[in-house]
Amino acid sequence: MLNIKLNPETNIYEPETKTRHRVATALLIVVFFILPFVLAHLGRTGVYWIWVTTEIIIMSLFAMSLNLILGFGGMVSFGHAAFFGVGAYTVALLMKKAAAPLLLALAAAPLMAAVAAVIIGWFCVRLTGLYFSILTLAFSQLLYMVAFQWYTFTGGDDGLHGVPRPDFLSPTNFYLFCLVIFLICVWLMRMLVNSSFGLTIRTIRENMDRAKFIGVNVRFYQWLNFIIAGAFAGLAGGLFAQLNRFAQTEFLHWSRSAEPILASLVGGMYSLMGPTVGSAFLMCLRIVLQQAHKGLVEYWAIILGLILLVMVLFAPGGLIGLVQKIIKKKNG
Amino acid sequence: MAADILRVEKLSKSFSGRLVIDNLSFRVAEGELSAIIGPNGAGKTTLFNLITGYHVPDSGKIIFNGQNIAGLQPFKTVRLGLARAFQRTNIFPKMTVLENVVSACITRQERNLNFRTPYKKLTQIHQRAYEILDSVGLTAMAQRLSGTLAHGNQKLLDIAVALALEPRLLLLDEPTAGMSPDERWQTVALVKDLWERLKVTMVFIEHDMDIVFGISQKIRVLCYGNLLAEGTPKEISNNLKVIEVYLGEKPMMDEAC
Amino acid sequence: MSIEYFVFMTINGLSQGMLLFIIASGLSLVFGVLRVINFAHGSLYMIGAFLAFSISSLVSGGSLFNFLLLLLVVPPAIAILGFILEISLFRRVYRQEHLLQLLLTYALVLILDDLVRIVWGGNPRNVPRPEILAGSVDIFGLALPTYNVFIMFMGPVIALGLWWLLHRTRAGNLIRAAVTFPDTLGALGVNVSWVMTSTFMLGCWLAGLGGVLMAALANIDLGIGMEKIIESFAVVVIGGLGSIGGALLGSLIIGLGVTFFQLPLGRWALVFPYVIMALVLIWRPWGFFGKPER
Repeated sequence: MLNIKLNPETNIYEPETKTRHRVATALLIVVFFILPFVLAHLGRTGVYWIWVTTEIIIMSLFAMSLNLILGFGGMVSFGHAAFFGVGAYTVALLMKKAAAPLLLALAAAPLMAAVAAVIIGWFCVRLTGLYFSILTLAFSQLLYMVAFQWYTFTGGDDGLHGVPRPDFLSPTNFYLFCLVIFLICVWLMRMLVNSSFGLTIRTIRENMDRAKFIGVNVRFYQWLNFIIAGAFAGLAGGLFAQLNRFAQTEFLHWSRSAEPILASLVGGMYSLMGPTVGSAFLMCLRIVLQQAHKGLVEYWAIILGLILLVMVLFAPGGLIGLVQKIIKKKNG
Repeated sequence: MAADILRVEKLSKSFSGRLVIDNLSFRVAEGELSAIIGPNGAGKTTLFNLITGYHVPDSGKIIFNGQNIAGLQPFKTVRLGLARAFQRTNIFPKMTVLENVVSACITRQERNLNFRTPYKKLTQIHQRAYEILDSVGLTAMAQRLSGTLAHGNQKLLDIAVALALEPRLLLLDEPTAGMSPDERWQTVALVKDLWERLKVTMVFIEHDMDIVFGISQKIRVLCYGNLLAEGTPKEISNNLKVIEVYLGEKPMMDEAC
Repeated sequence: MSIEYFVFMTINGLSQGMLLFIIASGLSLVFGVLRVINFAHGSLYMIGAFLAFSISSLVSGGSLFNFLLLLLVVPPAIAILGFILEISLFRRVYRQEHLLQLLLTYALVLILDDLVRIVWGGNPRNVPRPEILAGSVDIFGLALPTYNVFIMFMGPVIALGLWWLLHRTRAGNLIRAAVTFPDTLGALGVNVSWVMTSTFMLGCWLAGLGGVLMAALANIDLGIGMEKIIESFAVVVIGGLGSIGGALLGSLIIGLGVTFFQLPLGRWALVFPYVIMALVLIWRPWGFFGKPER
């Protein structure tokens, strides 16, 4: 299911040749493990790139978590930042105010995000389509406002700065730490998507009414999926707070929710790793723009908007889909 | 005399003031193969929607297997042993034919909460799915995306998905709609064969009178949400009311009813 | 709570509600005909507000003439912007999946909101009120801000105007027919896409009008678009998407609710729209005046 490729002549689904796939994946993972040691030799630019790659990994996790409900579940959430933010604030608050150890704080992040998703999701899955999107947006704005107003707890507009970091977490180590967590999450999500649960979620996306008529309690499974997605987003948020060593209201802002949507759309919503490709693409684009002209990053939201616009109008299947389309045209 | 598997009692439903089902009562005996006929707008599909819980009735009871299921949500009625195939094909178009049936089997066996085993490795379920596909003759197309099937095959898949739920009562809403004459009779033969082999109670809606009178044990004529007549094909074809208003001069059909 | 205070708060709440109605009715109208919820409606309203600020600083001064000029120029300008957006973008996605429609308008929010930031910057702005509306009026011996009273009366005027337009003119008949029987209308030889374009423009005109009125009511900044679009969502969720009467009811509930909860709750009263929206969505997802979809 991860790589549905149709033979154009027979319209028959052909599973990816497994061994080749596995070798490529293993090679890629090895490259990512070696990468920071290579980069570490490049001095300050190297450290910068380690930081960038770490951010890509974290944002990929965030985008993949959204894609569990967006691509696989067919639920368009405009408020996924809520769970990212809850995770970030959990880590920041626990480590800064309660001096909790890193691992405990990072374990609490997905847990708290899941709790938030239990409550928010309970309301949201009662609705479909448009109404669902509106309500997710509203809830994330609600959390944003709470974080904004509750100065004594969240630091309001200033955010929470100076989140402590354990000494052993040098940039390289933190990168490796994130990579390991990321790989575990990918493994978990892969399992999820390929499981009976994953198939059930897909039936709901494909045809919600019919899913009810094969006996699926649609709301319940959507809720469950929403909670799982929220938990992964919370973990991403927790890592992000640790990367930046602060949490701020901007993490909960609605524009934060746009990034994983875009990454999923650019990379392809209907594959597990698509959002990862999209996140990396967007991050690299941002850096290229920064290098080309400092002022360009000022227009980041516009650029994101334009990319989204172009994708929606011309390539709803993502970059990969677009490439396939072009190849098809050339051949045919 | 077999026990009743379904009893509809004084069922009513209106949409924005228009009475679509009007104080309707009838019984379906276990193991029966029966047809519901009636002109367009008689409330046939609405009746199916009410029985399966897609709509909530305004009043009345639907007793299925001794339990009142009126207003129960679709997924619950399915679990009690009700399944339906749809007038307009209603499948999962971007999943393979096999996955369509497998997902129904998984739900039937309540394995949806299995987060670990890849569904492709559930061999027992796959065997079962292949059995079902075989029974409707779609095995050769198991790996194709169901949305790419021809219309007739999509309708068969719809039936296969319903069969995978192992229902006690199967509701078929115009199983031959949109098919060519040849396909129609093949499908009808298949339906009859399934009924005989699986011993499942079937109620189907059909417009083609040859088919209706050819295979059903019992026919119910629905008209403006009311039961106009009920009986064996012979009784119905001799029923003066039905002849007069329904089977008589065709142009009269809609006004007379 | 004294009577005076109560009256004062009521007037304040009603004026807030009416301003919200002007914006939300546009959103609701567009959804009714186009079946697309325009997330960028709040951004259009914000552009209207900032445009009003720019024009008013050009002509400098708070005379009645200048204010009327704003009312005459800004809403049509936003309508023209809407025209461009409709024929170049929206039209392409009417027959597409819901998801893509949502994402398209979302992309517009990203672009338009950032454009506003680039053009006008993040500083709070406002438009001077014309002298005639700047002071206060004496009602029941209470000095009430004239401008709030003015907005309070603008709401019903707009509501009546919309009612007249939709129920008493040929264009309105077409719009209402397009809501109920879009296919039949096409078959009858009516140019449905023209009906859609003009409805969209009308919706944008309302957003622009809301922007002008807001700019002279309070400070405007980059957050007002998102704030009003979510409040508008709350309004249409309460009243039912596509229903103008529902939008009126929803606006009054939100406007009065936020104002009155300010006393016990302070700034937390801003949470009120979200809470009531969540409650309505659970109890009656299609709103007071809407119809359930299935």
